Amino acid sequence: MLRPITLCRRTARKILIAGLLIFASTLITLTARQLNLGPDRPVPAFRSFGPKTASIQIYEYTDFACPACKAAYFQLEDMLKLYDGRILVNFKHYPLMSIHKWSLDAAAYSDCAGEQGKFKEYAALLFESQASWGRAEKKPPEFTVYAGKLKLDLPALETCVNKDETVKRIKLEMAEGDLKNVDATPTFFINGKRAVGAGQLLDAAKHFDNLLKTGGK
Amino acid sequence: MNEKIGLKQIAGTLSRLFLGGIFVYAGYLKAVSPAEEFAYAIEGYRIVPQWLALWTALALPWLELYLGLLLAAGLFTRFCAASLGLMLVGFEALLAQAWLRHLPVLSCGCFGANSSNSIGMEFSLNIALLLSAFISFRFGEAYSLDSAVDSGTAAQPGRDG
Repeated sequence: MLRPITLCRRTARKILIAGLLIFASTLITLTARQLNLGPDRPVPAFRSFGPKTASIQIYEYTDFACPACKAAYFQLEDMLKLYDGRILVNFKHYPLMSIHKWSLDAAAYSDCAGEQGKFKEYAALLFESQASWGRAEKKPPEFTVYAGKLKLDLPALETCVNKDETVKRIKLEMAEGDLKNVDATPTFFINGKRAVGAGQLLDAAKHFDNLLKTGGK
Repeated sequence: MNEKIGLKQIAGTLSRLFLGGIFVYAGYLKAVSPAEEFAYAIEGYRIVPQWLALWTALALPWLELYLGLLLAAGLFTRFCAASLGLMLVGFEALLAQAWLRHLPVLSCGCFGANSSNSIGMEFSLNIALLLSAFISFRFGEAYSLDSAVDSGTAAQPGRDG
C-alpha cells in the first residue's frame, strides 16, 4: 500500500515531466510553423506550370490588382520559357481585399476560367487591364467581357464563381499566406526561400543556373 | 519486481508507440497548417456551426499532439489511451453520420488537407486505431515513463497482463 505522500510525489513528478514534454513540443511546432516547415498546399493543376519534379519550385502569392504582381507575372512567363521544363511555378491567390476591392472576385473568375482550361489567358488579361477594373466602384464588366473574349461558357463560369468551394479555396490560400507571414504581394517561395517583389525575384533568378546544377540545393 | 516480459507487454508498448506516433503526426501536420484548412474539413461534416468549427480546428490539433506525445512516452498512459480512444469513437461517429447522410466529404481532415482517404477507408483505419487504444490502455504501461517514475528506477515491465 502506497502512502498518500509518495503517491503525491510521483504524480507531481509525472506532471512535471508531462509539462516539459508539452512545452518542448509546443516550441518545436511553433518554430516549424515560423520556418514554414508545414506542408505546402497543392494548387489546382491549372495554376501549376512545369514538371512536378523540377529542381526549382516557385510558389507565388499574387493579387491581380497589384501592379508589382503584374510585373512579376510577365517575368515568370519569361522564366518559364527560358527554363522550359526545368522550373515549376505555382500561383497562389493572396488578394489584398482591404486595398483592392475586386481582387477576390478576380481570383474567383480566374480560377473558374482555369477550370475551363483558360487560367493563363484570363490571368494575362486581368493583369494587363488591372488599372481599369482594379479601381471600379461597381462590379467591373471586364470579368465577363474577358470570358466572352476567351469563348468561355459564361453561365458555367458564373455558377462556378458563386460556388462556396471556389471562394473557400481562395480564402484557404490567404490563410496559408497569413500563416507564412505573407503581408505583401507578390511574395515568392523559391525552393522554400522567401523573396518579396519582382526585384528580389530577379535577384533569386541569378542563382537559378547554380540551383539547376546542384539539383535545387 | 522483475516480471517476465510477455507478448502482451510487447504488444502494449508497440501499440502505445504506434497510436501515439500517429496522433503526434496528425496533430503536428494540422498545427503547422492554417486552422481554416482543418475548419473547412470539419464544416464538411455539417454537425457544428462555422464558428465552432474554427475553434475546434484551433484546439484539436494541439490536443492530438499532446495526448499522442504523452502516450508514446508512456506518461499517464491509461488516461491518454482512454482519451484518444474516446476521440476515435467521436471521429467514427462523425464519419458514420457523414456516410449515412451521403455528405460530400472530400477531405476527412485527419492528416490535414493534403491527403485524404475515402470515408470507408478512414472508418476502417480508425477501428484499427481503436484496437491500438484498447491494447495501450490494458497493456501499455511496460517500458513507460509511468513505470519508471513509479518504480523510482529505470523503466520496468508494467503490472498488467
